[in-house]
Amino acid sequence: MAGLELLSDQGYRVDGRRAGELRKIQARMGVFAQADGSAYIEQGNTKALAVVYGPHEMRGSRSRALPDRALVNCQYSMATFSTGERKRRPHGDRKACEMGLQLRQTFEAAILTQLYPRSQIDIYVQVLQADGGNYAACVNAATLAVLDAGIPMRDFVCACSAGFVDGTALADLSHVEEAAGGPQLALALLPASGQLALLEMDARLHEDHLQQVLEAASQAARDVHALLDRVVRQHVREAALLLGD
Amino acid sequence: MAAGFKTVEPLEYYRRFLKENCRPDGRELGEFRTTTINIGSITTADGSALVKLGNTTVICGVKAEFAAPPVDSLNKGYIVPNVDLPPLCSSRFRSGPPGEEAQVASQFIADVIENSQIIQKEDLCISHGKLAWVLYCDLICLDYDGNILDACTFALLAALKNVQLPAVTINEETGLAEVNFKKKSHLNIRTHPIATSFAIFDDTLLIVDPTGEEEHLATGTLTVVMDEEGKLCCLHKPGGSGLTGAKLQDCMSRAVTRHKEINKLMDEVIESVKPK
Repeated sequence: MAGLELLSDQGYRVDGRRAGELRKIQARMGVFAQADGSAYIEQGNTKALAVVYGPHEMRGSRSRALPDRALVNCQYSMATFSTGERKRRPHGDRKACEMGLQLRQTFEAAILTQLYPRSQIDIYVQVLQADGGNYAACVNAATLAVLDAGIPMRDFVCACSAGFVDGTALADLSHVEEAAGGPQLALALLPASGQLALLEMDARLHEDHLQQVLEAASQAARDVHALLDRVVRQHVREAALLLGD
Repeated sequence: MAAGFKTVEPLEYYRRFLKENCRPDGRELGEFRTTTINIGSITTADGSALVKLGNTTVICGVKAEFAAPPVDSLNKGYIVPNVDLPPLCSSRFRSGPPGEEAQVASQFIADVIENSQIIQKEDLCISHGKLAWVLYCDLICLDYDGNILDACTFALLAALKNVQLPAVTINEETGLAEVNFKKKSHLNIRTHPIATSFAIFDDTLLIVDPTGEEEHLATGTLTVVMDEEGKLCCLHKPGGSGLTGAKLQDCMSRAVTRHKEINKLMDEVIESVKPK
């Protein structure tokens, strides 16, 4: 079929990466003053920021408070200028609600919610520029933000997307690769234990290939973990320097 | 000890500083917070700018689309501003439909655009009566620490200066528009409206660039929007304590100085991002 070649004969993708190579990731913690925890991440051209408020008292309906653990409330929002075509509804549409729910499920698995009964933890994620891997960038940013807020977690939550083209598994899909319509897998991993917090797949994929794609996504998530770990250590080092010894 | 006093008697705490003609963060009464600006970082938008006024952070993204011109003025385009104060910028905002503050800010920006004639709407017309540009200017506050109006006007101005629109021609035979993405041109920005906000304390004292706490303790606010030649574009004083004419004059002269500072900053930044 004529059109964009997602994987060339020499094994290069559209943006010049190899099959298992991640895009350049840059992340910073503690970017906003108002929030309890905040982080900003850039994965290639995808720019996402996450802000955490909490744990605090339940807002609104007290009846929704859980007697034995904290309620995690996630909201996913895309800026109207984040996509090629202007996005008419930045939040409140079905896709945003689904993403919010997925983020909530992911973080309920990782945050030690039993430590804060009857309270609420708010995680707000804003995508400023979307270039593929939105869910992954949001999860990575939210992990850093929760760590910045000092909320105890079981482990880092690292996410990455993967696809399958011409018999090869590709890690960290960009928008062009996602729009091509092949199978896509989004995976959120707790690296230390190797447990999957969330796994979602779109389009059709033969079960023989599933293991290969899962491996590619897991390896990419572990690479992300190494990077996020470095970012957190750097941030703590800087904070310790500022406080003085 | 000071932290305890601040929690129990915030106004008294502030008055102690104001008596010495300074503020808790070390600024003078007429001093602005550090202003930083970053333009063109969002490549999916046609123009973008991020402005930080101390901790207050606002990002503006401009997207251009086609539309039919309005029936009563067939040679004009549209500029549609929108200010969003999401719950992530401060715990005082809830999710849901835009609250009062966001709506007031959106209306303020719309008024500034209309009054200052920053862009001649006729420049946005592509084909008389058939096709025109509509510029959607979306401002999102990422961190709310007071003085949102100044940050929004500055972000809007910088983003509009960054916008590059492709050349559009109407094919005579088919009547369809042909967009030439290779030929891009900047917008014709006619004026540079810059806003300066003040907070009024105890009906007498005026401080420039209030932080979130200062806005909360103030008895009134005032925003002055100035143009290049010292022309006043907009004066926004939503109730609050009264002001004498003399104090108003002081505010306007402060706004004129601020305009020069911001203009210089913006020119430096635009010069630095120009492709060499």
